[in-house]
Amino acid sequence: MSFLLPTAFTLTALIPIIIAFYFLKLRREEQWVSSVYLWRRAIRDVEANAPWQRLRRNLLLFLQIAFLLALILALARPFHWVQGAAGQNVILILDTSASMAATDVAPSRLEMAKTRALELIEGLPDNARVTVIAASDEAQVLISAAQDRGEIRTAIHSAVVTNAGSDLTAALTLVAAIAARQPDTEIIILSDGAVTLPQTGLPARVSFIPIGTNDNNQAIGALSLREEGGGQALSAFVQVINYGRETVQRRLDLLADGTAVNAYELELKPGAVRTIVAEDLPPTAQVIEARLAGSDALSLDDHAWAVCRRHETTAVTLVSPGNLFLETGLSLLPGLQLTTIKPADFDLTTQPPNHLTTQPPNLTILDRYVPLTATLPVGNLLFIAPVRSTAFFSVTGTIAEPQPRPVSADEPLLRHVSLADVSIMEAVRIPLPDWARLVVWGEGEENSVPLLFVGEVDRRRVAVLTFDLLKSDLPLQVAFPLLLANLMDYLAPGTGGDLPVQLAPGEPLALSVPPGVEEIIVEGPDGMRTRLVPEDGQAVYGNTPGLGVYRISWQGEEAETREALVAVNLFNPGESAIAPREELPLPGMEVGTTASTAPEQARREWWRPLVAIALFVFTAEWLVYHRSALAQIAGWIKANLPAFHPPNLS
Amino acid sequence: MKSEPSTLPSYQPSTLPSPHLFDETFLHKLERLSILSRRAMAGQLQGERRSPKRGQSVEFADFRPYSPGDDFRRIDWNAYARLERFFLKLFVEEEDLTVHLLVDTSRSMDWGQPNKLWYAVRAAGALGYIALASLDRVTVSAFSQQIGETFPPHRGKQQAMALFAFLQELAPQADTDLKAALRNYANTATNPGPLLLVSDLLDDGWREGLTALAARGFEATVLHLLSPDEVNPPLTGDLKLLDVETNRPVEITADYDLLARYRQELTNWQDELRAFCGGRGMNYVAVTTDVPFEELIFSFLRRRGVLR
Repeated sequence: MSFLLPTAFTLTALIPIIIAFYFLKLRREEQWVSSVYLWRRAIRDVEANAPWQRLRRNLLLFLQIAFLLALILALARPFHWVQGAAGQNVILILDTSASMAATDVAPSRLEMAKTRALELIEGLPDNARVTVIAASDEAQVLISAAQDRGEIRTAIHSAVVTNAGSDLTAALTLVAAIAARQPDTEIIILSDGAVTLPQTGLPARVSFIPIGTNDNNQAIGALSLREEGGGQALSAFVQVINYGRETVQRRLDLLADGTAVNAYELELKPGAVRTIVAEDLPPTAQVIEARLAGSDALSLDDHAWAVCRRHETTAVTLVSPGNLFLETGLSLLPGLQLTTIKPADFDLTTQPPNHLTTQPPNLTILDRYVPLTATLPVGNLLFIAPVRSTAFFSVTGTIAEPQPRPVSADEPLLRHVSLADVSIMEAVRIPLPDWARLVVWGEGEENSVPLLFVGEVDRRRVAVLTFDLLKSDLPLQVAFPLLLANLMDYLAPGTGGDLPVQLAPGEPLALSVPPGVEEIIVEGPDGMRTRLVPEDGQAVYGNTPGLGVYRISWQGEEAETREALVAVNLFNPGESAIAPREELPLPGMEVGTTASTAPEQARREWWRPLVAIALFVFTAEWLVYHRSALAQIAGWIKANLPAFHPPNLS
Repeated sequence: MKSEPSTLPSYQPSTLPSPHLFDETFLHKLERLSILSRRAMAGQLQGERRSPKRGQSVEFADFRPYSPGDDFRRIDWNAYARLERFFLKLFVEEEDLTVHLLVDTSRSMDWGQPNKLWYAVRAAGALGYIALASLDRVTVSAFSQQIGETFPPHRGKQQAMALFAFLQELAPQADTDLKAALRNYANTATNPGPLLLVSDLLDDGWREGLTALAARGFEATVLHLLSPDEVNPPLTGDLKLLDVETNRPVEITADYDLLARYRQELTNWQDELRAFCGGRGMNYVAVTTDVPFEELIFSFLRRRGVLR
């Protein structure tokens, strides 16, 4: 134990003063009494054990000296060295990625990290400011520059494991900004080391406290389903990886809609990747769940789900004088039942009558053709280079060589589509109707024209591509099948075709539903239901942190419930490989010091308990001094409390 | 610990609070009372109390054979007629009683609120008046170390003023020495009779003193007078108590324990006194000066059989 302020011990000079005062005080107050006769009788017994009496008389003196000593000790600020942080500004980065849920240290790595963090907080200087950041793949500031220990503790306790990966880049960028403002900043990272680190240095001292002891973890690395034989058979592809350093036996259970259908005993060597193809699964199963029986340190990745989405076919009628690109492109897209008709054969009356009622709405693609009758086919329409005006738009001429320009960078129809290298020889000039949303415009020599616009009119979706595909090189580009797929997603929605079957935790879920759907219900794996109101048939559900199957449902046009499933799985090798790292190769970290693994020595002060003792002694002294009065009060209370009179039974 | 010379101003005796001991109405009330005497005692003059002597009252007492020299006027001729022998008819003699009032005028009596001495003087005055009013002789003696001023035996209600004047002149004198003073009184007193001792008895000699009074045949009533602050001392802290009589110091730490022990000691002492007096046919009446004086006279003393 050492003292921060040893000069405080000069105050011990006060002790003789107290003693001197005490001796002075021993000149008792004199008082006349009528007679000391009774007093002498009263103290006769007392004087028999005089030494104890003298001690008792000096009790106050002892208490006063004890009080002073405790106070002086507290003032001297004794401390001892502990492992901890010593800076005035401490930033704690708590790794809350999925791997921190590992239970190799009880109760879990995150809880361990919290415990260590709380210990560090205890050892901090009193005026230290503490910032706590929870970092997974994004950084969340739990508390900023706080001095209140209670708040800091609450903030640390509030950190929870996310299912996300661990990317400290965001957290450390934030920390670097804070550290640049505040001198004497110390950054402490509490993590298992399975993190992505930035390559820039940090303007502060960085310490790393490794959490975790072993790497025993097996994970399901992949799970996907395939329909075979036209929906007659279902097979699953499962990948099981042993990230540990020991050979383990695990059993892989496959469940179809909650019923066990298959099990595989696996012997997994260290680092082994086992691939299992499970065939003959029930073809009607909606959810296939893979489960690793037994236990390892991290249970999050022992489960995986896959949803089997059966594509409902959309009847697509292509009315075209002949367009190989279009036919090929459409035939490659799943869920489309393509009928190709020559314009000459196209007759509205030949359309299958069920087109009027089937869901999803059918789609008619009019390639360089517009029927002469004023009536257009029912359902959604895609016009390609329309030759004349229709009820929805007017054709006013042509324009030569427009340069396609996307209107917006985040246009969903242009997802993954690059139009930069597309050349167009000629396009039809159509003024943008008021119902339409411009997607691509063409920059002509004199003025610009719409090249692709979409919109909803008459309760149906209409898209117009104003140029002939054969008069451009678009069909030859990668952009074509992507644009076609996007357009089909837009024009033939409701199949869930644009929904991914799998998502990573936290990844937002973009939903596209037919127009007219008023609300979408998303039910998470925990059973929590969220109501979304789509705008323009689009809605985004951003809340997928939990692992499992999300059930998305909405009311179709005919008030029937339509449903789609999405599985959220932790297929994250970075998190599943839970082997703790002892060092964190951070650029700013001091080289050659052990600071990379252990924080430096910090002083833990002891004045608080000493002040508490001083207060206690002070209270005791006060009580002893007033014991006579207190006893009198007690006696008075006892005497004046209503006595209990037992009822007279006789 | 060595006792330091006192820094307190020396004790000043207080002056008695009122020029008049009693008012008129109180005296009238007193006249209805009389001092109860349990034994017949010989007096000096004709009075209203039964005396052990035979005498000339109307109350028949006894017969006795005539012996030469007897007053033949007292021969019972009816008895002679029947028995042909001379018998003297004896009657109960009624004489006066000498009521002895002993007032402790030691300095310890000049204490308390109300003042013990004033209370004692009033008690003596009241009993004296009662005795004078019932044609008894009253003598008052103040004592401290020794018998001090004495009001010689007086008789008759007209002596009341003289008695009151004497009592009012009493001043606190010196230290208490109950043993010497009471022995002295017992040895020198003529005509023992009812005796009222008003004292705080704060002296070791009370035992011997009271024994001497009892042995002389006094029918003593001990009015043990204490002030409220002697019963419940309002003291706290470390104190050096100084005796007003002797200046003797006692150092105490007046904590709860000690005060409780003090009260216990006081109770024990009073129990001891009560037992002692009871064993010697004395009346023991413990009273504190906060008891209203009328209550003492009309209730306390009547209940204890001192007054009637």
